[in-house]
Amino acid sequence: MSDIILGIGDYGASKSPGSIVKTYALGSCVAVTMYDPGLRVAGMVHIALPESKLNPAKGVDCPGYFADLGVPLLFEEMVRMGCQRKGRGLVVKMLGGASVMAGNDTFNIGKRNILAVKKILWSLGMGPTAEDVGANHSRTVSLYVDTGLVTVSCPGRGQWQI
Amino acid sequence: MEPRICCENIREAIEKLPMLSPNVSRLLQVMSDEDYELDDIVNIVKYDAVLTAKVLKTVNSPVFGLLNPVTSLDRAISYLGKWMVVSIILSDNTGDLFSQPLEGYEGQQNALWRHDLFAAFSCSEVARLAKQNFETELAFTAGLLHDIGKFVFAPFWKQAAPEALKRIAEGSIADYLAAERALAGMDHAQIGYEMAKHWEFPQPLQQAILYHHTPQNAPEEYRALAFAAHIGDMCAMMAGCDTGNDGMQYPLDDGYAEYFDVTSNSLAQILIEAEAQFKKAISSLSFEEEVD
Repeated sequence: MSDIILGIGDYGASKSPGSIVKTYALGSCVAVTMYDPGLRVAGMVHIALPESKLNPAKGVDCPGYFADLGVPLLFEEMVRMGCQRKGRGLVVKMLGGASVMAGNDTFNIGKRNILAVKKILWSLGMGPTAEDVGANHSRTVSLYVDTGLVTVSCPGRGQWQI
Repeated sequence: MEPRICCENIREAIEKLPMLSPNVSRLLQVMSDEDYELDDIVNIVKYDAVLTAKVLKTVNSPVFGLLNPVTSLDRAISYLGKWMVVSIILSDNTGDLFSQPLEGYEGQQNALWRHDLFAAFSCSEVARLAKQNFETELAFTAGLLHDIGKFVFAPFWKQAAPEALKRIAEGSIADYLAAERALAGMDHAQIGYEMAKHWEFPQPLQQAILYHHTPQNAPEEYRALAFAAHIGDMCAMMAGCDTGNDGMQYPLDDGYAEYFDVTSNSLAQILIEAEAQFKKAISSLSFEEEVD
């Protein structure tokens, strides 16, 4: 069993039976999960900001950091592991994008991340089948390779699934 | 609402805190002097064999990818930069202040250190965006120390935290700071301030700790520093480096706009830069990268 733990800006996919793909403590960041139930391939990207034009050098160094680069890269990775190029049969979910309380627009990076991820998913002909986004709390996300189950946890709020 | 935690017990715990090491006291005094130089920090390190070894070990860690080992302290410090050296001195001389799990906040081991370190790097980035004269040198240290109150408060808070979260969720209490005040009679910022007084921190740091959630209430001369700590704190929470069940449960005071030119673009740059420096610091200072 080889679990994949993703930091900020990381993406990865696994088809190892019994393993999970996991990322810790999404604040305003957004995680996109992709799962192929037929092939049992599970992938995730941990996105920090909406667009790479904010810092092109960072985009080269760590493309998964930005929604416009990270989501297509995750999809490419899923295709590389055998998923259909048209994205058929992929179950896509998005999580995170929390905001600080009473935050003004400047600080609403969570909301900008959510919108950017949706936009890029639509451009790829996909949409999330489930989402757990916004609000004012962090999320730790796990995607199980065997089942495609996505669990979310937060200190003080327990664990739930989407 | 009647507080459930006795403030006297908290004050007693602060009184019982051991004094900080002379290295930390000297470092904080040096940094609050406007004219201090890197040499002043070098002098603190070079008379302490353990600190010297730690600085050399850090600079020679794989994170920095040096071809030849650095054996001179001066070179090591100029290579690492002063913020990294300040972090080493504070982490090495404060016992388990930053590393102890925060029981009441359900914060894992090192959660406070990770949060404070991210906030500190964010603070020094925020400082670059000051609109008027601003003592930038203290911003990093204010970020590193802003949440020390949680160290003393966490064990007491354990009994009231579930109630606090419930009341915030149902809307009968506005935010986490208000919940601490309602259920404990004081909040972690006030407790941090009492600790800072006990340890005789320089006045600007005491004030930044006290007002990091309510910067608008800080005396004018310390208000910009309090706002820097406030924004740094928010950045750390947004980046997922929170201290547990209070993550993102505090309101933003948008009075920062009077002191710092923070736009959505510059905020993104703050987060990118702070994250890069944080990652380097965490890896080279040998803390666990992941928690849970």
